[in-house]
Amino acid sequence: MSFAVLSRVVRTASFGLAFLYALLFAISVVILGTIVYLSVQNAVDRQMATRIDAEIALLKEELRSEGRSELAREIQERTSYFHALEYLVVDAHGNRLAGNLPSEANGSGWRDIRVRDSRSGALKGFRVHTVLMDHGLRLSVGDDLGPSENIKTAFLEALGWSLVAFILLSLAGGLLLSVGFLRRVDAITCTAEAIIAGDLGRRIPVRGTNDNFDRLSQTLNAMLDRIETLMESLRQVSNDIAHSLRTPLGRLRQKLERAAAAPGSSMKYKRAINAATAETESILDTFSALLRIAQIEAGSRQAGFVEVEMSALLENVADAYAAAAEDQGKTITANLAPDLKIVGDRDLLTEMFANLLDNAIRHTPPGTNIEVSLANGGSRSIASVADTGMGVPPDERERIFRRFYRLERSIKTPGHGLGLSLVAAVAELHGIELAAEDNSPGLRLTMTFPKKIDGPHGNRA
Amino acid sequence: MRILIIEDDDETAEYILNGLRKNGHVAEHMSDGRDGLMQATRSHYDAIVIDRMLPGLDGLTIVKSMRERGIRTPVLFLTARAGIDDRVEGLNSGGDDYLTKPFANSELVARLHALTRRPPLTPVETVLRVADLKIDLLTRHVMRGDATILLRPREFRLLEYLMRNAERVVTRTMLLEKVWEFHFDPKTKIVETHISRLRAKVDGGSKDRLIHTVRGAGYVIRRPI
Repeated sequence: MSFAVLSRVVRTASFGLAFLYALLFAISVVILGTIVYLSVQNAVDRQMATRIDAEIALLKEELRSEGRSELAREIQERTSYFHALEYLVVDAHGNRLAGNLPSEANGSGWRDIRVRDSRSGALKGFRVHTVLMDHGLRLSVGDDLGPSENIKTAFLEALGWSLVAFILLSLAGGLLLSVGFLRRVDAITCTAEAIIAGDLGRRIPVRGTNDNFDRLSQTLNAMLDRIETLMESLRQVSNDIAHSLRTPLGRLRQKLERAAAAPGSSMKYKRAINAATAETESILDTFSALLRIAQIEAGSRQAGFVEVEMSALLENVADAYAAAAEDQGKTITANLAPDLKIVGDRDLLTEMFANLLDNAIRHTPPGTNIEVSLANGGSRSIASVADTGMGVPPDERERIFRRFYRLERSIKTPGHGLGLSLVAAVAELHGIELAAEDNSPGLRLTMTFPKKIDGPHGNRA
Repeated sequence: MRILIIEDDDETAEYILNGLRKNGHVAEHMSDGRDGLMQATRSHYDAIVIDRMLPGLDGLTIVKSMRERGIRTPVLFLTARAGIDDRVEGLNSGGDDYLTKPFANSELVARLHALTRRPPLTPVETVLRVADLKIDLLTRHVMRGDATILLRPREFRLLEYLMRNAERVVTRTMLLEKVWEFHFDPKTKIVETHISRLRAKVDGGSKDRLIHTVRGAGYVIRRPI
């Protein structure tokens, strides 16, 4: 593992967490060890003191019952025992009577002393208790501190090693965890970088374990899908706009050039200016239709949604178009269920149905019947605009909602090919399912509204 | 009428000023929002035309400040965007009407006329008259001379709006908004169709025509001269 990778590992969140746990655990081990150490030390000390005091009591008794010389003899004998204690008896003048402890052992009470061993030359520690006995004699009894110190050292060593082992293990664990973590983060970073570089189709690999990382990856992938769709439609739209505006702008230019080139009367110029103005008007219309669609798609209008009486709204629209349809030899019949309401934007819904009727009137032959209907389909209301015209071929039915899309046969009909795109945008904003179907003959556009609102003013039908 | 125009685009302002002066109005122009608000509070106007987007102070704020100071002068907003929210925002802030750029002067003038229409002498008019045409708003009865005219509900609303604005031009867009509640431009000739049917019923049996088409502007109902 290179240094760079290591330094990245050390900076990951999971490594930091592992490190923190190791630290906390080490501190608790140290505290626990100290407590155990202190109580072990205490027990060892107590045991030593008990042994020394028992010896002192025994020797005192010996002095009282047997006398000085017997005590000295007894002590001499005891020094030869295996694991014997150490002794020193001095008289009131400080003269050594018996024992093997050096004379500096003679003091008062409990003391720890260090004595140089006569044979090895090494310093040895003793715990010594000195007491006053009968006849002014002073008895000191000591015990070698070596074994108890060995126990303590061994304990500290064991504690130290286990601490080291623990810290190493937890760091290694943290390292492994972080490397695993980093690999998955790296996968996401790689994907993001590839996308920034232009490969919009790239997706983050999903392991299928359904853990947090998988869910994150799935969510990010879904977001990327959405972005890709949006980018694609944006690209499509900009292309469409460029192409659709080129034609009228080109026409406008030709008209102006022709008028400028040909010498003519002021009447002729006026006609040319009027034609150019009309052409500009149509370009502006296309622009504002595009802007409206974009604004509707932005969705800001949802904030102003209110309860809308669909039955009344549809009746208003159908009635508005009835006379114009009649003039063109077409009929509009309305078949509306009463009192149906939905939540939405009145102006946009009106425009949506108006566009559908505009469309139906414009693209059908005389004699066509256009039926506007609103029905209560269980939990959802359904509206439809159906004509008995020439219909739309099945493979083109989805495409009619695209911007600037026009059927082959309606290329000559005036219009900019945005009417149904606006319908689709309004439908999308309201959560309305929009579908183009065969009315055999003709086209039927159905709009299935979202679930009805509840409440006192809700649907009664 | 004395009209104040607050508009930062000089070409647009020039176009409006020319249009208003040609129609016999006195028009003044301010190109900065702050100066515009000052002018509007200092002097009296019959109507004010305000662009939504202005340097210094935007149109909405100007109207809000004006209304807070108790100035009730009718305000018409101009918006450059095909904003679908602009109308609601503008009307909520205290504006009285709105117009989307680009627009024709005839449309602006017609709307200003409608805005500055004097309130009727009687508080509630129930009968409207133009020459020998009479409509009763309560009984919905329409008479031309001695003859009763039968109108469909929409035709009645159309005629009522024309008669409330008698002698003044109303534009197609105004009719779409007031009679059909359409705040967009339908491709089908809805207004034209209804006007021609209404004209046939109202003017059909008489030698004096009352409903006139003003080319490039709109429609007007007026007494024969």
